[in-house]
Amino acid sequence: MLSYILSKLKFLKLLGQNYKLSQSNSTASKDEKNTTSHLSVSLKNNLDLFKETIGNNYDVVIREFTINMQKQVDAVLIYFAGMTDPKIVNESILKPLMFESQLEKNTLASKLDIIEIIRTTMLSVGEVNKRNTINDIVDSCMAGNSILLVDGCPEALLIMTADWKSRSVDEPKTESVVRGSREGFVENLLTNTTLLRRKIKNPDLVLESMKIGQRTRTNVCIAYIKGIVNPSLIDEIKRRLNNIQTDSILESGYIEQFIEDAPFSIFATVGNTEKPDSVAAKILEGRAAIFVDGTPFVLTVPLLLVENFQTSEDYYSRPYFVSFIRLIRYMAYLISILAPATYVALTTFHQELIPTPLLFSMASAQEGVPFPAIAEAVGMGIIFEILREAGVRLPRPVGQAVSIVGALVIGQSAVTAGLIGAPMVIVVALTAVASFVVPAQTDSGGVLRIVFVSLAGFAGGFGIMIGLIGLFIHLTSLRSFGTPYLSPIAPLSVADLKDAFIRAPLWTMITRPSFIGSQDPKRKDFRLKPSPPSEKESQSE
Amino acid sequence: MKSVKKAAALLTTILILSLGTSGCWNRRELPSLGIVMGVGMDKNVDSGKLEVTAQLIKTSELNSGSSEADSSGGGGGSSAYWNLQNTGESMFATVRGFTHKSSRKLYWPHNQVIIFGHSLAEEGVLEYLDFFVRDQETRLEVYMLVADDNASDILDFQLKLEKIPSVGISELMESQSANSQTCVTQLNEFVTRLMSPTTAPVAPIIKIEGKGANSELSVEGTAVFKKDKLIGQLTKEETRGLLWTIDKVKSGIIDVKCPDCSGTVSLEITRSKGKITSQIEDGKPSITIEIEEEGNIGDQSCDANLVAPDAIEKLKKQVEKAILEEVESALKKSQKLKADIFGFGEVFHQRHLKEWTKMKDDWDEIFSNLEVEIIVEAKIRRSGMIGRPATPAKE
Repeated sequence: MLSYILSKLKFLKLLGQNYKLSQSNSTASKDEKNTTSHLSVSLKNNLDLFKETIGNNYDVVIREFTINMQKQVDAVLIYFAGMTDPKIVNESILKPLMFESQLEKNTLASKLDIIEIIRTTMLSVGEVNKRNTINDIVDSCMAGNSILLVDGCPEALLIMTADWKSRSVDEPKTESVVRGSREGFVENLLTNTTLLRRKIKNPDLVLESMKIGQRTRTNVCIAYIKGIVNPSLIDEIKRRLNNIQTDSILESGYIEQFIEDAPFSIFATVGNTEKPDSVAAKILEGRAAIFVDGTPFVLTVPLLLVENFQTSEDYYSRPYFVSFIRLIRYMAYLISILAPATYVALTTFHQELIPTPLLFSMASAQEGVPFPAIAEAVGMGIIFEILREAGVRLPRPVGQAVSIVGALVIGQSAVTAGLIGAPMVIVVALTAVASFVVPAQTDSGGVLRIVFVSLAGFAGGFGIMIGLIGLFIHLTSLRSFGTPYLSPIAPLSVADLKDAFIRAPLWTMITRPSFIGSQDPKRKDFRLKPSPPSEKESQSE
Repeated sequence: MKSVKKAAALLTTILILSLGTSGCWNRRELPSLGIVMGVGMDKNVDSGKLEVTAQLIKTSELNSGSSEADSSGGGGGSSAYWNLQNTGESMFATVRGFTHKSSRKLYWPHNQVIIFGHSLAEEGVLEYLDFFVRDQETRLEVYMLVADDNASDILDFQLKLEKIPSVGISELMESQSANSQTCVTQLNEFVTRLMSPTTAPVAPIIKIEGKGANSELSVEGTAVFKKDKLIGQLTKEETRGLLWTIDKVKSGIIDVKCPDCSGTVSLEITRSKGKITSQIEDGKPSITIEIEEEGNIGDQSCDANLVAPDAIEKLKKQVEKAILEEVESALKKSQKLKADIFGFGEVFHQRHLKEWTKMKDDWDEIFSNLEVEIIVEAKIRRSGMIGRPATPAKE
């Protein structure tokens, strides 16, 4: 209890420091803005200003050239090599400006703003904007746009040329499916939002963008469907996103940890997925998605516990087997957190509960084993985690060697040598396999497993029950953006149970999940049950 | 926030406090248990004291596999059990006395059988049963048996199919419903009968048949107790007579004479129901036993056509007669022993309370002269896969 209070105090102190830090940061950025300078008429001054801001970066291309109009005008094109499409720069910017501008000679009135003429008549590029502050220009340049500065103009043209090498749309590694779309998100934000828009071709799909991270200036995009989503959810997401005061956002995990409801819980209250169809399904249920530039993992909120046991494929296959598999997933999760604990409790406290023939084989297997069951369970659990981590981190060919050594040495030889009992190896192996059935909860399962094993070793089945009661109290207290984490189970919503433990046929899923709080609760019309045409109908035809 | 902290503190308190209330709290690893599979109680011939035999399993030998395969060769594959003996005055002291001899503390929940030696049973089993009912580790579902000689011999009899005698005996008990000629008794049933003022406890008898290599363990007949003392035995036919009455016949074979010729017909019992009702007319108590039985023709040694309706009718009469004889023989034996194994006294107690208060003091005399009417109704349902027997056609 004392240590709990101490840790709380330490944490508060830490918070205070952070707060001070963020305040000083924000004042610093304000100062910077005050000194923001505007472009001048002189091209040379502008160029100097630009060079001063951007420094001596080797990847900046500063191309000076002359525009041939009625008179010759000096101009500079600035862009980052590698972030722009050279084809657009060469064919659609430089070429018209340097050669084809001759043709325009007669039609152009010299009095007109040169830069406006260039923008309206000479650049065959989709998006071209005018800006006059150096900050805007640098930002845009960093995002891959080309900057055109023309002598005598206090404004610059920002020409949309951004294009860089990115991974192609690929099948996601974490959520592979047998049936269903094989598209997965990539690192490029625009590609990702496009993948989503291709699923939902509806103007109500809103993609709102903002920049987070004082230094990384990462693009973050909130996606939702206007008319379905609860507006207060969007307000809350925006509030939490705006509260993020950090210098860097490198992955959506950063955002997740800054906006989650229960940062001390072992359960995640923000979901993530790599699949556009999952995101589409979730926002169609009234959730919101948060895209972060630079990662294929898209966040979805609110997250319910039952969502961890659902996959997109559940809805593409027919309901019977899917419902069975979903129950299997719940069972596997329970096995993954409770199997070693139950084994420890049975063998050290409740031997009378073991069926006699099973007791015989277990007792003879444990004969001569030097460690108590609790030590075996914890030890084997840790060894398994080591093997798993090694297998994940190592290059694939080495990873195989690790698993062979692990399986043979740790499994086979340890039993033969009498260091551990064979039943314990079976229990740990079963647990290990079961823990991968629900990938979203693998990490929480790993923590809970250790907790339950300790409780079981300390107080047997009684300890397990105490642990389970604690777990359920914790789960019922969790909220994800205002939605109870255990809904639709607690609080109960009978209508929503059609998609919790089983997956009811699609034509029965008439309403959206009620706890997410959708504005438009009805998903489809009643009486959608497919049936062959009745006799009367076919006669009339 | 405050209420959350309060709840957390409350939960912690409950957790810590409840640890002390969980009763028998102890952590024991599997290899530290001496798992008792069977227990036998005898009277020591020399000292006259109680001699308890506990059968422990040797967990290290369980999977060795070579224990009994070559035991006939006289070599000495060590057996998978260890019969531990201790003598003492009281049951609990003797049981606790095993700690002087066994490196592992005896663990009772998996005990399968309790066997009383014949001489001990004749002197009374009451004082030895209390431990099994009272102790928290022992179970009431354990099978109770009486040895026709010494219990320790039974527990040391190496079965051919099972490594551990107690397990073999327990399996044997479970298969007895196929013949319904053994009154399988669990400790709770025995104790319930023992606690009744009139009903006599019963338990199956187990014995070693034959000598040397050809000997076998056999369960046959029923030991009849008066109060807690063994006073007599029922044969296996008499035992089934008892089981018909108390509605415990599950399956079994009835052999009857073929109604048409001299052959034998065997019928399998598929369903049976026994019911006891009591009457008192003019102060004279009497009992009616109604037995309903259903069966199939399972075997016939002659070539008569038994599926013809009149043959079935005759066969039915034969079956009813056979059942009647079994029940009558059981009744006769019990009346001779003055032991109410059927629980007639309880029936009177329940249905004729007023008269019962007068009857109960000399129930033994009333029981031995009690008038019992037995009504048997048998049915023959099926004749197996064939109708008429597979015999050469007669011209």
